[in-house]
Amino acid sequence: MIRRIVVFGASFVGIGFLVLPVVAIFARVPPGRLVSQLGNGAVTDALRVSVETSAVAQALVLLVGTPTAVVLARRFPGRELLVALVELPLVLPPAVAGIGLFAAFGRFGLLHTSIPFTKLAVVFAVALVSGPLYVRAAIAAFEGVDENIVAASRTLGAGPTRTFFRVVLPLARAGLAAGAALALARGLGEFGATIMFAGSLRGVTETLPLAVYSEFNVNFDTALAISALLVALSAALLIALKWRPSLSISRFRFAASS
Amino acid sequence: MNVLLTIFAAASLTNVFPHIAPKEHYSFAGSNALAAQIQQGAPADVFASANTSIPFQLYDQGLVEKPVLFTRNQLVLIVPRSNPANIHSVADVAKPGVKLVVAATGVPVGDYTRTVLKNMNLGNALNNVVSNETDVREVLAKVALGEADAGFVYVTDARTVRGKVATIGIRWAAQPRVSYAVAVVSTSRHKAAARAWVKALLGKTAQAKLRAAGFLPVK
Repeated sequence: MIRRIVVFGASFVGIGFLVLPVVAIFARVPPGRLVSQLGNGAVTDALRVSVETSAVAQALVLLVGTPTAVVLARRFPGRELLVALVELPLVLPPAVAGIGLFAAFGRFGLLHTSIPFTKLAVVFAVALVSGPLYVRAAIAAFEGVDENIVAASRTLGAGPTRTFFRVVLPLARAGLAAGAALALARGLGEFGATIMFAGSLRGVTETLPLAVYSEFNVNFDTALAISALLVALSAALLIALKWRPSLSISRFRFAASS
Repeated sequence: MNVLLTIFAAASLTNVFPHIAPKEHYSFAGSNALAAQIQQGAPADVFASANTSIPFQLYDQGLVEKPVLFTRNQLVLIVPRSNPANIHSVADVAKPGVKLVVAATGVPVGDYTRTVLKNMNLGNALNNVVSNETDVREVLAKVALGEADAGFVYVTDARTVRGKVATIGIRWAAQPRVSYAVAVVSTSRHKAAARAWVKALLGKTAQAKLRAAGFLPVK
C-alpha cells in the first residue's frame, strides 16, 4: 500500500514537473491576446525564417542522413567509433557546436567560407544538432530490417537499388519517420549554435527561439506568444509521431503491393 | 559579517567590476536582459546599467532604489586586426557588402550605436547589419574573431582585446552621452551591504580603477 502511494506520488510529481511549465505558458496569456501577438511582424518574420531554414535543413538531413545511416548500419571495423563521432553533436552543448561551426566554416575557419551570419548558417546550425538525431534513429531502423527478407528479395532477382527502395525503405519507414519528426522538432528549437554562428537578424537569421530570447528583453507577452507557438508546433510533431501505428499498417500494404 | 552580494551588471563592466570587488557574485549581460530578469524576480542585490533610462524605469516600477550615476563611457568602431573589409573611417561601415555587427535596439550600446550613425548621417549603414547581438561582448567577440568586418563597442571593451582589433575613433560631436547608473534592488535581503557597495563604487579607490580601465568620471 505504502509502496503504491510512493510510486503514484512520485509519478504525479514527475508528470506535474514536466507538464506545468508548458501549460503555464498558455495560462499566463489569454488566448485572444496570444493570437493577436502572433500577428506581430517580429513573430511572422521569425516564423518564416524558422519554416524556411527548418525545411532546408530537414531536406539535407534526410537526403544525406539516410545514406549515411545505411552505411553505418553495416558491420565494419571502427563502426562504433564512427557512430559515436556522428552522434557527438547531439550531446555537445550548443555553444560548443557554435564554436565548432566557426572553427570549421568561419571566415578564418578550416574551410574559409563566408557562411556565418547568413540563412545558410542557420541551416548548418540546425542540421548539426538535428542530423545526429535522425541518423541515430535511421541506423536503428535499418538494423531492424530482417536480413532474410532482404536476401529473399535479392534471390527473387531484385537488384540492390530496387531491393533498397522496394523492401528496405518501406520496412524501415516507421523508424525513419520517427527519427525525422524528432529531428525536425529539435531543429525548430535550435538556439545556441544559431545565435553564435548565424547571429540574429530579423527576417534573415532570427528564428522563433531567437525571437523568444530577444522579445524576453523587450516584451514578455510577445515572448510568451512565440513560446506558445513553438509548443504547439512541437506538440503537433510529437502527436503525429504517436499516430504512427496507422502508418505501419499502410507500410505492409505498401510493401505487399509493390 | 561579510555577505557576498549578487551584482547584476552591464556586460561592458565584465572586466572592471571583479577588479574592483573580486569576491561578489556577478551576472554580466545586456542591461535590458538583466532588467527583464529583475522584473521576473531575479535575486539581485545591486543593478548596474550601461544607461540611465533602464534603471530609472525600474525605479518607477518600484523594483530598485533611486539610481545614481557612477561612470561614463564612449563608443568606438572596431575592426579585426586583418581588417578584411578595408575600413579606415566610421563612414566606411556604410560601404556596400560590409558585415556590420551591432547590439540590438533596447540594449544600451545598440541604442548608442544608432545614435552615432544618426549623428553622422550614416543611417544607411544599418542595411549592412548582419546580426543584432544581445550585449556588447557578443559584438566584441564576433569582431575579435574576425568573422564580422566591424562593430560598435565601448572604448573600454576594445581595450580588453587590444591585439585582435584595431579601433577607429568617433568624433566628440557624434558621441552619445553614455552614463552608467547603479541602484540597490528593492527585494535585496542585504540592503545595508548593497548600499555600502554602491557607496564604495562612488569612492576614490573604485573610481580610480574605473578610470584606469578607460571609463570616464561622471563630471
